[in-house]
Amino acid sequence: MLENVPILTLLILVPLIGAIISFSLGKHSKASKIVALVFSAVPLALSVLLLSEFSLTVGTFQYVENFTWISSLGISYKVGVDGISIAMVFLTALLSFLAVLFSWDVEERTHQYMGLMLILEVGVMGVFTSMDYFLFYIFWEVVLIPMYFLIAVWGGPRRSYASIKFFIYTHIASLVMLLGILALYFEAAPHLAHATFDMQAIATVSGSFGQLFQIVVFGALFFGFIVKMPMVPFHTWLPDAHVEAPTAGSVLLAGLLLKMGSYGIIRICLPTLPYGANQYQIVMVIIAIVSILYGAIMCLAQKDLKKMIAYSSISHMGIVMLGIATLGQLGIAAAVFQMFAHGLITAVLFMMAGIVGHHVGTRNMPRLGGLAAKMPYAAVFMMIGFMASLGLPGMVGFLAEFSVFTATFDSFGWLLLLPIISVAITAAYYIWAMQKTLFGPLTKEVDVDHIHDLSWFETAPLVVLTGLIVLFGMLPSLIFDYITPSVKILTAVVVGGA
Amino acid sequence: MMIDIEVYRPEVILALFALIVPGVGLLVRRYFKDVSVSKVCAAFALLGVFLAFFDAFMFVWNNSAGVYEPVSGLLKLDQFSALFMMIFLAVAFYVILASARFIQEDKHQPEFYALILLATVGMLVVASSTDLITLFIGIEMTSISSYALVAFRKRDAKGAEAAVKYFIIGGLSSGLTLFGISLLYGVAHTTSFVGIGQAVTMNSPMQSVIFLALVLVVAGFGFKVAIAPFHMWAPDVYEGAPTTVTAMLAAGSKKMGFVALFKVLLIGLFAIKSNWDVLIGIVAIVTMTVGNLSAIQQTNIKRMLAYSSIAQAGYILIAIPVGTQYALAAGIMQIMTHAFMKGGAFLIVATLATVAIGESINSYKGLSKRAPFMAFGMAVLLFSLAGIPPLAGFFSKFVLFSSPIQQASVPGSEWMIWLAIAAIINSAISLYYYVRIVKYMYVDDAEEGTPTEKLKVPLSMTAAVAICVFMVIIIGVWPDPFFTAAQHAAAAFFA
Repeated sequence: MLENVPILTLLILVPLIGAIISFSLGKHSKASKIVALVFSAVPLALSVLLLSEFSLTVGTFQYVENFTWISSLGISYKVGVDGISIAMVFLTALLSFLAVLFSWDVEERTHQYMGLMLILEVGVMGVFTSMDYFLFYIFWEVVLIPMYFLIAVWGGPRRSYASIKFFIYTHIASLVMLLGILALYFEAAPHLAHATFDMQAIATVSGSFGQLFQIVVFGALFFGFIVKMPMVPFHTWLPDAHVEAPTAGSVLLAGLLLKMGSYGIIRICLPTLPYGANQYQIVMVIIAIVSILYGAIMCLAQKDLKKMIAYSSISHMGIVMLGIATLGQLGIAAAVFQMFAHGLITAVLFMMAGIVGHHVGTRNMPRLGGLAAKMPYAAVFMMIGFMASLGLPGMVGFLAEFSVFTATFDSFGWLLLLPIISVAITAAYYIWAMQKTLFGPLTKEVDVDHIHDLSWFETAPLVVLTGLIVLFGMLPSLIFDYITPSVKILTAVVVGGA
Repeated sequence: MMIDIEVYRPEVILALFALIVPGVGLLVRRYFKDVSVSKVCAAFALLGVFLAFFDAFMFVWNNSAGVYEPVSGLLKLDQFSALFMMIFLAVAFYVILASARFIQEDKHQPEFYALILLATVGMLVVASSTDLITLFIGIEMTSISSYALVAFRKRDAKGAEAAVKYFIIGGLSSGLTLFGISLLYGVAHTTSFVGIGQAVTMNSPMQSVIFLALVLVVAGFGFKVAIAPFHMWAPDVYEGAPTTVTAMLAAGSKKMGFVALFKVLLIGLFAIKSNWDVLIGIVAIVTMTVGNLSAIQQTNIKRMLAYSSIAQAGYILIAIPVGTQYALAAGIMQIMTHAFMKGGAFLIVATLATVAIGESINSYKGLSKRAPFMAFGMAVLLFSLAGIPPLAGFFSKFVLFSSPIQQASVPGSEWMIWLAIAAIINSAISLYYYVRIVKYMYVDDAEEGTPTEKLKVPLSMTAAVAICVFMVIIIGVWPDPFFTAAQHAAAAFFA
């Protein structure tokens, strides 16, 4: 039924049109909210339709659209989805829609805010569907501008510093990645009929790349991606950006933007430079374990609820990296699943941090206490979020981490002991955070009359997200069935490059 | 004797209009007292520029083969020169369009337009020159007109100072260039680029004289292009000149210097490229670094844009040591996009100056609420200068920075990878000062005491800005025809 519909183009185009309409609405803040909601609901509906029509058996790219764009350089507008990207496309559509809904109380420069949210969706959607390096890079950079403005205009007190740091830090990483992309282009050109930026075409001749070339270029691309994830020691932009970003901005930053980094490694680094991937395996493992432990330990030290969640993101993205580092089928599939799971869970957590900060006026945990009495519904969602994030069985996070750890044991044996320490630390900081904020005696910040429980536009996204967290926790095959066939194809290439 | 007018046609059209415009101004002043002299003169000047542009455009559009000037062979119209003519004429067009309002309070308006047209004629001559003498005449024609343009507001102390500085530096650089040319003539016994190219090889005698000539010519043109260490004058002159003239200096006459460098180095002295490529490469890296690091410290927007212009000159310079057809096409592409980005940015400064927004970057705070289109245009142009996709500046940097990477796989050229790396690092540094302005306009609130009502910006200047912004977006989204034209130009250049 979808054969003749350019569904991926629509996924990119619809939010773009919505953004243009929203920008032009000017003072009509109510209208721009409705526009943003409608134009993010359509991609969500389309992505669900795409999931239902997607063939689970082949594992290759589907719904490919290919148009020549800049013929003199071999650049084309080429988009497509396989099982890995379709999970991310769905996550993008879902979180964008919920983030717009969650921002219903934004009253300052609303039309610009909503327009930027939609532009952000355009960029992320483009990254997850591009099959051409040039196109990929354009979408990759397009993401920066709306996020910069979201932090700089609607952010917290140190927003000016945080937004510039975010912009420049990740832009430098992108430029290094660009060098790698250009090197790939020129190295592949003599082996191809036409010089092209087509990802698949370049990957087909990767066998003829020299070993040193693979190592150097893998390094450049890898650097570009791990800054975005972010991995220790290139993570310092993340806590700043998160603390200052508006809540919906944080949700999209942690839920989607970080995934672009790990997606890039899986989509570009591994299949295009398999020899490099095998050479870098040890680096990946070290970075992953350091990030997992460092992130978790930093969480213990945080007083700001949101900053703690930001550090927990680093820890959890480390688990994604660990899964990728196994270079095996289970590990990579689990890594993708963890990306998906973390997207759902972290959205809940950042929404809760935003709600606490907004309703109570502070996110400083020592000054919070007894929130459960004042905001019982909020407390429930917060607990679900914390439990999901610390890996409670039955929820989506448990399965993801469990699969990654299984794969790690298969590949690296007892090295698993190191990352597994983080599970205990994670449980510790979440339970402490829960005690400090939700339970215990009321502090004087909390013991005031104006604190009310959740509003409808806060409840609705939380219900959807927690519902999905449990649903995919119970039935992980709903997502794994999409991922596995594509990962199988991918790992065959990677193992061949060893 | 038949003279093939096609070779000269754009120059002739423009020179004719340069002569007509003051006459028209005189007539209007005498017989139509209530008609604005500035508007009529600007309209005539625009007509002339448009006709010349159309002529060059048809040549590029039809991808016609090169035509030589038949008598002395000093000029040649080919894809290269026609494309550069289009760039120069486009710059002249938006500068005149914006100036109509910008100088409406000043005296001697007809002369202003005539000078702009004459400066442009000089640029066109440089674009189509095949000989050092015509090249030099073209450069002087542009320079002398520009000195007068910079000093146009003669009661403005800053402008007068800038003009004197520009004049002295310009005279010095002309002297250096002429000396270099005379040495080259002594070695090669010809002043045509092709002839020099045949005479000057690695085996030709007097290598030290050739090298001295090279240094003198590069220094002479280096002043024109404002590459380090010959760049000191540029920020002062750019700051002091009337802002629409600054736009022309940055977008037009500076690019003329690049045409001269391309012709001398990549045709005349191409055979001894290995003697100078590392030197020019180092100059490129130093230029971009000095430009960017200085730009960060500026608090005057015209000075900041001037230093950013120096940095961009450093990027363009990459094309010369790489020296491939692809690199030249990339360099042309960067020149083309820079003409719109930087010219447009200066025009916005000029436009805002007419509604009492000062040149200090602090006065741009909160601008998005007072002048939404100007703020939007400035943001687009600055992001483009920083190389953020999908804008024109990204594409041109993309091809330009990729050219040394391509060439680095050739044995002996491995060092060129550092050109790309230095350019990338610089590009990242530059993001800071570009984004700072965007932040001022969109994020920060206006300084205390500034009025908050919307600004009424003049329509004609808005149109000129809109042309630049539109071109930056179009080239960014659909670069194919532009890059194809640049590749044809590069092919014609090396043919």
